[in-house]
Amino acid sequence: MTAGVKPISEEDLHAYVDGRLNAERQRSVEAYLETHPDVMARIRGWQTTREMLQRTLGAAAEEPVPPALNIAHLAAARSRRRLAPMRVAAALVLGFGLGAAGGWMAHGPSVTASSGIAALAMQAADAQRAFAGDHVHPVEFRAAELPGVLGWMGDRLGRPVTPPDLTGAGYRLMGGRMLATPEGVACLFMYDDDHGTRISVVMRPMRERDLTAPMRPVNDAGTFGFAWARDGLGVSVVASKQLPALHDLSNRVRDEMRQL
Amino acid sequence: MAELTSLEAAVPSLRRYALALLRDRSDADDLVQDCLLRALDKIDTRVGEGDIRPWLFTIMHNLFISRGRRLTRRAAWLVHDNDAEGSVPAPQSSHLEMQDMLRGLATLPEDQRQVILLVTVEGFSYAEVARIVGAPIGTVMSRLSRARDRLNAFIEGRARPVLRRVK
Repeated sequence: MTAGVKPISEEDLHAYVDGRLNAERQRSVEAYLETHPDVMARIRGWQTTREMLQRTLGAAAEEPVPPALNIAHLAAARSRRRLAPMRVAAALVLGFGLGAAGGWMAHGPSVTASSGIAALAMQAADAQRAFAGDHVHPVEFRAAELPGVLGWMGDRLGRPVTPPDLTGAGYRLMGGRMLATPEGVACLFMYDDDHGTRISVVMRPMRERDLTAPMRPVNDAGTFGFAWARDGLGVSVVASKQLPALHDLSNRVRDEMRQL
Repeated sequence: MAELTSLEAAVPSLRRYALALLRDRSDADDLVQDCLLRALDKIDTRVGEGDIRPWLFTIMHNLFISRGRRLTRRAAWLVHDNDAEGSVPAPQSSHLEMQDMLRGLATLPEDQRQVILLVTVEGFSYAEVARIVGAPIGTVMSRLSRARDRLNAFIEGRARPVLRRVK
């Protein structure tokens, strides 16, 4: 071997197979292999194995990622988990739970989440956190598909449903989805503006409480908006930040639905 | 958030590696989900620290070591015909070649299997692999040599016995 040239190491052989040598070192390895046919045979085998392994497992990374591994869902579930104890604490301070501590123990934390439009607002905020950040499938049905499923959505909801038109305020309808809530199914319609800001409009029938309730602001763990109910239908408009336009958007939604 | 985007981009390769380690789709996805939740807990501490993939694979490796061994034993690395077909589709590879490769991988000791997968399929540098598996680089290189020799012998052995027997 020429003086001054580093001898070929096992690591060089791997780096040769993996294509990680600089041009000069690669020539040295090639020259070495020329004169060592036994090593050459071994390296050929490594190369074949490497290619087969890549072919065998390469496509496994092209499968669609299941919703359970969606980062936006996980991040939303995680922030909710972190917030849960605070919600319980707040309910106790308000006296919800104090007298009925036994009831709370028996029924679990759901009793602490007040019913009525406060519960609706929380469900809308949860949905906004779960879906608005999703860049793959934020909606179940795209806007173009909605006309074909609105009838079904209305059947599930128990009353006819139409997505409010917010184009006058600069928000386009992206599509919609059905949500599950403790009070039954809800419909969500998602909109975005030219800057990619997404808002959700969630509606569902109200049960027992707040069949008609005035518009109230929503501020739930970084999700903002408004919620109200009219004639048994609850509506909440939410965004992932405090948008000045939210009040106006909520008024538009309310006014448009009043005309139905 | 840029960090969340790069986290999302790494999910397919985390799933592939977890599946190759555990050989069971739902066990693999459970492992990936644990890994992602840990990563979300700590992601604020590593804004601007470069490539997120070695960090994620290190988290997953440690989770796998701490609780995954049990799962591996349960799956026993048995390649069932229908199982391999359902969980590792490889349209550009012939089915038999794929089956051989999975069987070959199954014959490797776990530490060798990890190293050869991280290098050839996931494309990590040798230094990155050393950090991910928590072993000196010399150990990584010798595991890689043994894994390659063994896998190659397995593949060649499977291609030839039929011919030899014919005579």
